[in-house]
Amino acid sequence: MENIPAVANGATQINSAEFVKLTMYNDYSNVANTSTYTFSSAYSNVTISGTVYLPLGGLLSVGPQTRNLRVTEGDTTIALSGISGNNIQFVLASEGKIRGSLVEVKRGFFDTNGVYANSYTRFTGIITNYSISEDREGKEDNFTVVVGASSYKTVLQNRIAGRKTNKESWRYFNSTDSSMDNVYAISGVQFDFGQDPKNKVTVPGGGGGYPNPFNPGYRQQED
Amino acid sequence: MPGLQNIINKAGSIEVNRRKVVGVQITRNEIPRTSLTPTRQPWQFIIEMPNSLRWYNSRDIIESLDYIDRYTPQQVTFANTCLDWMFAYQGSFSGAEISALTVASFSGTVLRLNNVPVKSGGFVCFKQNDLIQIGANPYPFTVVGPYNPSTQATTLGDVTYSTNTGGDLYITMNRPNFITSVTASGITVGSSCTFNLFCPNMPTYKLIPGGYVGNDTTTTNNALIEFSDSFNLYEWVGGAA
Repeated sequence: MENIPAVANGATQINSAEFVKLTMYNDYSNVANTSTYTFSSAYSNVTISGTVYLPLGGLLSVGPQTRNLRVTEGDTTIALSGISGNNIQFVLASEGKIRGSLVEVKRGFFDTNGVYANSYTRFTGIITNYSISEDREGKEDNFTVVVGASSYKTVLQNRIAGRKTNKESWRYFNSTDSSMDNVYAISGVQFDFGQDPKNKVTVPGGGGGYPNPFNPGYRQQED
Repeated sequence: MPGLQNIINKAGSIEVNRRKVVGVQITRNEIPRTSLTPTRQPWQFIIEMPNSLRWYNSRDIIESLDYIDRYTPQQVTFANTCLDWMFAYQGSFSGAEISALTVASFSGTVLRLNNVPVKSGGFVCFKQNDLIQIGANPYPFTVVGPYNPSTQATTLGDVTYSTNTGGDLYITMNRPNFITSVTASGITVGSSCTFNLFCPNMPTYKLIPGGYVGNDTTTTNNALIEFSDSFNLYEWVGGAA
């Protein structure tokens, strides 16, 4: 079991902050072309695994995350300030690419002097949706960016992969493969596999006639 | 500069809120558990204004307040002759000695000062609640007490001169350092420190007839200003990076 010194041995007081990292893929065909955005609720820049988490990112809240011993699907939300900063800009400028971005939420721990000690990952998933909301009441006008993230289990669960048994799907992988070209012609036709194609009448076995080469136990009905 | 400085100078009362972001739970067996989010712990001053401000003489102040509204920070001090006692420096360093002090490091809440003049043991360098400002950054920190680098423990009380620390002063401050470049910076202490504040609830004002100005021959119409609420001044800590 993972040992977290900051909360071990019945600690009655902890100093902790949230750290969020978004990795957005700028080009789906080039996974190395990414932009990284970091947010934290700490008081200053904190470097975790070479990434600097910025306190000025505008992190408002991180929703609850489900953790379970078995693999569990779970969603969470991350609310960012839409006031100043560039949060609305990077969401809109991504032209939808924000969906599919990798999101990682960590909880970092600090000692009694406020010095960062270590951190542990709480959630890893991808962003599945986002929203920008305006909350205006009288002369109060606030904007919030909320991104929803799903764990990998949910993503994989909803993923459909494979080939369809039709001409387009088959030729997508091999343009010369004509195996499924006739699928459309026979689509919707009902076949009674194993029956006489002429009169489609089943005759019990043992009645004389010639044995059907496709069904040794079947004998053709005599007129 | 008229604006928030006028509000501070003419305050009827000042309430200070420096509470941290904490979580407190009392367990079923009445054992307390607490958590702390290490924020920048901004200063908050809740200032009530007396209804004695006269419109005729205060239109520049009102215009400044309307201009900065609820979103513009202003730098203010408590150095006004009516308020300079509030955050007055309590230690025994001279002004020249304070000017010579420089920041060796400021990690977490522990501030280390060097270029400390040699003093006799027990010399009071700083007392609790003394303000210290790092360089020109308008974010004052307060002295909590001396920090012992050997035991890594903080003691509440005066920060006195000691040769045990190589002549440097180790001080635990009230909040962690969020200023990026501090090394070799000078410091400012006491009521000379500057606060960077804005007023997110900027109250509106009502004019009540009164406060006429007369000179025996003519009377100038006037009104007393009544603000709709207290001024909740909040430290603009987002400017430090």
